[in-house]
Amino acid sequence: MALHREQRDGPTSSRWNGGTQKTDFSTKRKKKVAEIYQALNSEPPDVAALRRMAISEGGLLTDEIRRKVWPKLLNVSTSDPPPIPGEDLREVSKDYQQVLLDVRRSLRRFPPGMPDEQREGLQEELIDIILLILERNPQLHYYQGYHDIVVTFLLVVGKKLATSLVEKLSTHHLRDFMDSTMDNTKHILNYLMPIIDQVNPELHDFMQSAEVGTIFALSWLITWFGHVLSDFRHVVRLYDFFLACHPLMPIYFAAVIVLYREQEVLDCDCDMASVHHLLSQIPQDLPYETLISRAGDLFVQFPPSELTREAAAQQQAERTAASTFKDFELVSAQQKPDMVLRQRFRGLLRPEAHTKDVLTKPRTNRFVKLAVMGLTVALGAAALAVVKSALEWAPKFQLQLFP
Amino acid sequence: MASELESSLEASFSSSCVVPGASGCLPPARSRIFKIIVIGDSNVGKTCLTYRFCAGRFPDRTEATIGVDFRERAVEIDGERIKIQLWDTAGQERFRKSMVQHYYRNVHAVVFVYDVTNAASFHSLPAWIEECRQHLLASDIPRILVGNKCDLRSAVQVPTDLAQKFADAHSMPLFETSAKSPHDSDHVEAIFMTLAHKLKSHKPLVLSQPPEDAVALRPEARPALPCWC
Repeated sequence: MALHREQRDGPTSSRWNGGTQKTDFSTKRKKKVAEIYQALNSEPPDVAALRRMAISEGGLLTDEIRRKVWPKLLNVSTSDPPPIPGEDLREVSKDYQQVLLDVRRSLRRFPPGMPDEQREGLQEELIDIILLILERNPQLHYYQGYHDIVVTFLLVVGKKLATSLVEKLSTHHLRDFMDSTMDNTKHILNYLMPIIDQVNPELHDFMQSAEVGTIFALSWLITWFGHVLSDFRHVVRLYDFFLACHPLMPIYFAAVIVLYREQEVLDCDCDMASVHHLLSQIPQDLPYETLISRAGDLFVQFPPSELTREAAAQQQAERTAASTFKDFELVSAQQKPDMVLRQRFRGLLRPEAHTKDVLTKPRTNRFVKLAVMGLTVALGAAALAVVKSALEWAPKFQLQLFP
Repeated sequence: MASELESSLEASFSSSCVVPGASGCLPPARSRIFKIIVIGDSNVGKTCLTYRFCAGRFPDRTEATIGVDFRERAVEIDGERIKIQLWDTAGQERFRKSMVQHYYRNVHAVVFVYDVTNAASFHSLPAWIEECRQHLLASDIPRILVGNKCDLRSAVQVPTDLAQKFADAHSMPLFETSAKSPHDSDHVEAIFMTLAHKLKSHKPLVLSQPPEDAVALRPEARPALPCWC
């Protein structure tokens, strides 16, 4: 599967211009809006359908829809009362200074042209949300870049709902990034090169000989690209996708971007600085819809379980004996909950599998598959968190789930 | 396609760096590379300093650096073209613990930065120095200490004599500067150029190719600062 600039179907915007295409698009869009509302209004809401909508072309389309669908994707009730902040959170929080520094500097995240006063108000809310979540979840640690995620939710759903959504996200999709160390984040980054290797060994070998490492993708991963994309519409489109998918999907998306830039990378001098520099400057005109669909394909084709060994080997080269032992311990600790969960999943998966048979289009089929994976694994995360062995659940858990 | 090209040009223009008066291109011939890592607490101005040196101006706004950013600039010293690579690192402790080591590899020099208006950033220096010692096997790597944000005179928390004592104790030259103040732009330039001169005289010639036209050292690049002890 070749995956580079020449083969794409043009930037998304160009597809939206022009007469008949425009009508086509607007018909398609209307149809999708109707489908989303139908899924929302059914009793209970059809979350599997909402996941498919969030993944498929255009994602959830508008912020108004996102306000309704994102809570469903995260299984957060919109009617729950918001968590009540403790008094003087700013005085007692050990993270306040760092959060303050990062939020103050995050001007680029706010829409250009927003009045200063309004922006400053939102920045205060941003600080409140972050400190409140950290206070309620002492196992979570703040990282620079977390604020880039929270601001996206704040701008789309407002303070109250953002708090609930981000809290849920922090204990699931973002859990690994919020450990006391970044070892698990590094572990996830170690999936990047094996994915690239599966698709394009030449590119992989070039990057390996350049010793570029994977830090160029760090901010992509831990901010879900919120830190590096300047157009907010692209950020929320990706959030639709990631919220509906497996927590490792952002690393597949990162791989897809690198693969897409194959020619530029190969044209670089084969050294760490040149390749790091090229890749860390993310092009702002990526064909998002094409790349999203590629990332989905790659995930289905090379699920994390197949890459675990390579990712571990990557890690092996850099690790100390002590942390290897820690991994070993964690694997043992997770044996039991995994077994329990696997049995539960068999029951859960059945109705989904049935839906899958009904749909005939291969394209839809893939979204179903992705949506199922996202759904089941999100549930798995919840259960694991309960037994307090959520550490590194994503990579290890995959091993069990998709043998 | 045109817009794509434009934006990628813009991206490379804004962060990769241009030598004033040298037509903006990095030397085609293989030139010597000096790799310098810039470390220090969050918000001391590491990004601004490196940006100032590479792009020649103070950035409009900077954000928290996540992981490691890279900037470079080609300069000419004694007729030799040299690429100065600056690796700008994240200040938050969690990043340096497991992420940054990779970037200490083959480093030629280290710049420690603190904020003169923030005593805590000065008190963190011993930890940074220790961290650096653990990563770098060679102990004779040139290191310098930079106290940034000198323009904020009324807010100074770290007196120069205290910083000087600390620098002396660790055998580092100290520079106090401001990446922001327009009066100090030559100063920022001079700091990195001093380091480059030091490296040039320090390091044996390894992978360079002799330049075709030897040009005299540009006057503004001459170190006008405290000498190396």
